[in-house]
Amino acid sequence: MKQLINTIAVIFVAALLAGCEGDDGDNGTAGAAGAAGATGPTGAVGAQGPVGQTQQVTRTDVVVTNANIAFAAYGDSLTSARSLRTTLQTFVTTPTAASFALAKQAWLDSREPYGQTEVYRFRVGPIDALLPDGTIGEEGDGPEGVINAWPLGEALIDYVALGGIDGDAGPEVPASVAGINGNIIADTTSFPTITAAVITANAELGGDERNVSGGYHAIEFLLWGQDLNADLSSSAPRDATPGQRPVTDYALDGTCTSGTNPAATSICQRRGAYLLAAADLLITDLGRVVDAWNPNGTDNHYSAFIAGGDTSLAVILEGMGRLGFGELAGERMNISLLTNSQEDEHSCFSDNTHRDIFLNAKGIENAFRGEYTRTSGEVLSGAGIDDLLNTEALTDVSTNMRAAIEATMTSVGVIDQEAKTGTPFDNLIQVGPNEPNVKAAISALSNQTTVIETVIAGLNVTVGDIRQDTEENI
Amino acid sequence: MRICGALVTALVIMSLTACGGGGGGSSASTSAPTPTPTPTPTPTPTPTPTPTPSAPIVPPVLALERLSGGAATTQATNQTAFGQSPNVVQSNFAADANFKSGNLIFRGSHDGEGPLLNARTCQGCHTRDGRGAIPTDQNTPMDAMSIRLSLGLASDGGLIPDPNYGLLLQTFGLDSFTGNLSAGLASFDGGAMSAIGEGFGFIEYQTVNGTYGDGTAFDLRQPTYKIKDLSYGDFAQGIQYSARVAPQLIGLGLLDAVADSTILERSDPNDSDSNGISGRAAIIFDPTTNASRVGRIGAKASVASLLQQTVSAYRADMGVTSSFAQEEDCTQLQTSCIQAALSEPDPNPDNVDLSNIELALVEFYVRLLAVPARRGFDQVSETFSENIVAGRALFFESGCESCHRQTMQTADAVGSVLGQVELNSLSPNAPRINVLSEQTIFPYTDLLLHDMGGSCQAVTPEFADGQACSAANDCIWVQRCEGLADGRPEGGADGAEWRTAPLWGLGLVTTVNERATFLHDGRARSIEEAILWHGGEAAASQQRFLRLSSQARSELLAFLESL
Repeated sequence: MKQLINTIAVIFVAALLAGCEGDDGDNGTAGAAGAAGATGPTGAVGAQGPVGQTQQVTRTDVVVTNANIAFAAYGDSLTSARSLRTTLQTFVTTPTAASFALAKQAWLDSREPYGQTEVYRFRVGPIDALLPDGTIGEEGDGPEGVINAWPLGEALIDYVALGGIDGDAGPEVPASVAGINGNIIADTTSFPTITAAVITANAELGGDERNVSGGYHAIEFLLWGQDLNADLSSSAPRDATPGQRPVTDYALDGTCTSGTNPAATSICQRRGAYLLAAADLLITDLGRVVDAWNPNGTDNHYSAFIAGGDTSLAVILEGMGRLGFGELAGERMNISLLTNSQEDEHSCFSDNTHRDIFLNAKGIENAFRGEYTRTSGEVLSGAGIDDLLNTEALTDVSTNMRAAIEATMTSVGVIDQEAKTGTPFDNLIQVGPNEPNVKAAISALSNQTTVIETVIAGLNVTVGDIRQDTEENI
Repeated sequence: MRICGALVTALVIMSLTACGGGGGGSSASTSAPTPTPTPTPTPTPTPTPTPTPSAPIVPPVLALERLSGGAATTQATNQTAFGQSPNVVQSNFAADANFKSGNLIFRGSHDGEGPLLNARTCQGCHTRDGRGAIPTDQNTPMDAMSIRLSLGLASDGGLIPDPNYGLLLQTFGLDSFTGNLSAGLASFDGGAMSAIGEGFGFIEYQTVNGTYGDGTAFDLRQPTYKIKDLSYGDFAQGIQYSARVAPQLIGLGLLDAVADSTILERSDPNDSDSNGISGRAAIIFDPTTNASRVGRIGAKASVASLLQQTVSAYRADMGVTSSFAQEEDCTQLQTSCIQAALSEPDPNPDNVDLSNIELALVEFYVRLLAVPARRGFDQVSETFSENIVAGRALFFESGCESCHRQTMQTADAVGSVLGQVELNSLSPNAPRINVLSEQTIFPYTDLLLHDMGGSCQAVTPEFADGQACSAANDCIWVQRCEGLADGRPEGGADGAEWRTAPLWGLGLVTTVNERATFLHDGRARSIEEAILWHGGEAAASQQRFLRLSSQARSELLAFLESL
């Protein structure tokens, strides 16, 4: 059944996305296919599948489903980034408490699909390796850094308070070397106007990867500001509030502020310009990734990937393992825990890190099950690794993996729930009774990764042939 | 890790040729770069009386050479080429996690950094794990290079620190990282008030002209190092400088795993084979293992292990203490530094700034930084392109390989003395790291010390116009040298000796950091200039390079670019 639906899903996703984006004539054509989506109800046909064929999926089915989900999830990310841009435009033009709240909500919404795309990292895919000409280069060539890099170089962008709980919020490069007086928004001499080009030119200023000037987290910082305590103190212990940026930081009526200090209206205008330029760049960069995954594209990553056979299957599993352990359990959770540092927390300004954690783990689950729930609520379902394991008589492995993923989702669910009920991640990592919740998630992810290794061994796939090199045990 | 600033290494690319094989014939037109500013001309060449120049043998080209780091080789060729782990680490999720965590710590700043420092993060100097850049002009502080200080060697071989400034000039105070243009920088006698940078170092270059045998002219820039705005009083009499730019870090785990006996194979302190090359090994004590071994890290091979280097770079360049270096880098006379250190948040046991787990993660990260594979190799025919093969032959024939040793084997890469990291814990008895062990590597260094020629005058206090400046004034302290010498003994090296720099990754240095330059202090603007700077034991090889045809020179450079 899944197999059947899967084929339909290809068309379906293409149609949906094209409908959403509607950005150019090409997609318009695909929009016609959207009608086919309507045919989607053919799902009824799927119902017939069970007759003996249910679990029979091929390796290529799994690869195709994985690619379709990539297109859908990146497409949702792009769509929500465009909504964010619209909301930001309204806010910058009319900076009220209400429009400010909507802008923040739009940012939070935009993170929901994006978090689930991160399982497509660490596999020499478009996000990590897409070159400007649309071909795939090497890891590091892609737009990941400009889309989602963290920790942010916030001191490079706008005012920050120094010392205390965000003690390392200061610039990475001495001003005497960078030649920037204060920050980009404040330095009207060096940067008479704020444009996308200014943001791009200052990315990795001085070659320092910590000087992140754009992407999701730049927008986040410009909306929430530094995560000080509610009383704007920056001394421990941390409270449960996110950043406290006042709406007057965008005021155009002569009441402009930079935090608690009054500022010229031009500073508020520059802040607004930065916000919009960063959103524009985000849309451009996400759009490139979506194009690379477009099922209708010819000679793009999608077409190469679905033809990749076992190599593609191997990179799916490698991405799952590397995201889950190295990135999520390691960088995003363990380092924060070791250093008890907000600066090492992923979405530190908005205190939305619990969603990053949950959604990253969810992305791994999506890849395993071959399922993805779109922003619209539509469920995209196809051949999963679970189906493949069952097909290949590796039911034990499949069961173990399912159990490991459930354990992970339970433990990250606790973090998610804690945050939603008043104890955000930056409180969870403080030494105290909540630390074990974070440790439990780390250890669940660690265990899950060990099981992924048995999946790789069971399916006997290797990524070795995508990068030539000598193989041996670490 | 490693150094930010100066400490270590630096060199790296330094010596290209070193080594002259035998024929010291008189040279063509130009003599080695023998700059002007001061007299004290060094008798550069010093070739031996021509001991039968048995033409160096050019070994057959092996396809294996493309994997410069053995199993610890990466195929990356882009801006991130120096920041990659070996494939085997990428596909081992636990190892990958440690590498990525180490990378994050490498890129991050730390609670308790400073009070005095040269950078907030490791990568603040080691740009994308590669080389740092020299300042763009004389008014910009050194942010990826630094100046080492000492008053010569004590009877036990250790460096004698300057009583006011210690062993390293720190350019910044913590206030330098607040967005204010001049905050935290040194100011004359200003250190009594607050913990600001110790002094402001800058470089003055003089042009040295030369000509190839075929008449093509070139020019080099000979640096003079100057330090002004001393914040904590005068330098002591006899102060010595050594300027170093932050080196690339690739392959250090492999070099760390080379056995002493392997290095000593090429040691020839008395030049008993009379080839003009006398590589020396220095035995260095390593406090992280409590044992001594052949120094192999740093421009003067004054450091025995990667962990030792990491610890000292954290402390001296970033003001980050750890269990092996618990005292902040404040001298007893720097009371403002001592005061500021007392108010640091110290989250770890022993009141140190960096926990052992963090240190172990960073050590793991740097150890596993892979070496880029050679470019110019065709996978189908399994051959290198012709000009690279020709340049390789010239490399051997010119005697470069006498010091830039093409290949060696690593021994066991033993597990960290800190223990095995398992994300949030350390367990004892870390296993050896196979991907670094028993590898055939092509580092193009013998890891030995060689006299590279040149000499320095004593550092003198002057006014801006060059007039003598007496103590207690706002003097500029000037070090003038000629040739490559820094005039500052360190470890087992004297003031003209340097460790042969590894050449692997050479062709990607400016891909990783487009502003990067070459040699220990970044004076060479190109690989070609780096070759031309070679003197001393390398003078004969340098002379051969001068006599090469333009095409032969470009072939040699094509080979070096492919490394």
